[in-house]
Amino acid sequence: MLQYVTLEIDGADIVVPRGLSVLDAAIEHGICIPHLCHVRYLSDIGSCRLCIVEHVVNGRSKITTSCTLRVQEDMVIQSNTERIRKLRRNLAELLVAHAPNSRAIQDIAVRCGVKEVRYPFRNENCVLCGRCVRVCSECAGANAIGFVGRGKNRRVDSPFGSLSEFCVECHTCIELCPMSIQPCIGYMEPGEERLCGACESQLDLADELPGHCVWCELGENFQCGRY
Amino acid sequence: MLPLRLDSILEGRRSQPHQLIEVLQDVQEQEGYISEEAMRAISNELGVPPMEVYRVASFYKAFSMQPRGKNVITMCMGTACHVRGAKLLLSQATGLLGVNSGETTDDGLFSIEQVNCLGTCALGPVVTENGACHHHMNPSKLRKLIKSIRRAGMEETSDE
Ligand code: SF4
Ligand code: SF4
Ligand code: FES
Ligand code: FES
Repeated sequence: MLQYVTLEIDGADIVVPRGLSVLDAAIEHGICIPHLCHVRYLSDIGSCRLCIVEHVVNGRSKITTSCTLRVQEDMVIQSNTERIRKLRRNLAELLVAHAPNSRAIQDIAVRCGVKEVRYPFRNENCVLCGRCVRVCSECAGANAIGFVGRGKNRRVDSPFGSLSEFCVECHTCIELCPMSIQPCIGYMEPGEERLCGACESQLDLADELPGHCVWCELGENFQCGRY
Repeated sequence: MLPLRLDSILEGRRSQPHQLIEVLQDVQEQEGYISEEAMRAISNELGVPPMEVYRVASFYKAFSMQPRGKNVITMCMGTACHVRGAKLLLSQATGLLGVNSGETTDDGLFSIEQVNCLGTCALGPVVTENGACHHHMNPSKLRKLIKSIRRAGMEETSDE
């Protein structure tokens, strides 16, 4: 039998089945917590850190990723405080600097209120979100790709560097990869990277209603409850 | 040769995925490196996906996927050793041997490797040679060490 718990997210009391993550609970109730590495039907590894929230326990708040936090009875969560917004903006800024050639990441940056990128652009083609790796092992059951190396040499690769014989060519890995859709202004060569300007209307909205849903395009592909 | 030698390592460990790291360690010790062939065999015998074997082997510094020289000179580049001049020692070693760190000399005698702390910071700068620890290293000790290994290596080849 399904058991339910009641918790408070941003002042709203919501009731959700036990076992859900705080992020899932929030999305289900239309509270948008920006996220990147989370995919509804995959396990969560908390690699992008965008979904951070404040978890208030006995009046003290701890910051943690909501996708890896399970709901508990009488939990108090704040997803949209000044402190969280500031941290999240910085995380998003680091992400665009790392991989500006992604619509999803440009969108997230705008959504999180990034106005300028203060870090050097690296123009990488992977943000190590691990979506492809997880879908390959959990859905395709193929284990054809995975993380290799560690630290700054960490990358996604197939076993021994050549296409695995276990790959069933389902291409879900590509579908889920945030890097597979270019920003609206097209591919940016190294040296000409910038924050995508085509979402300026969103930028204004994000300004006027800090922390509110701006109907980002992200929502559509990323299983936002409003789409 | 390889399958036979792997056999003794895999003995009693077949179909036990949790033995992966132990098996890799033994192969590393026995062969000096872990070849693709060995990884495929391990994956088959333990029932671990090849990706997983490759991922684990590539993660740990202790595993090497290329053949290494007879004598592996491991230079500690950790914080404590760094402030005591590990960088200078490393450039001295690469200069003396003519290879970069992570590479092996043409005669197959030396490999240079770096680690980020050997856990004996008080003895720094630390250099290990095939696991034997040389503490409080300085340029002249390092030169002597390399010389003596080279001499031993030459004697060995002339003996044969
Ligand atoms: S296309 Fe191949 S690598 Fe990608 S998810 Fe499917 S099986 Fe895995
Ligand atoms: S390849 Fe794409 S999906 Fe896979 S980890 Fe990198 S950014 Fe994520
Ligand atoms: S969605 Fe939670 S860390 Fe990425
Ligand atoms: S820093 Fe060299 S042993 Fe710790």
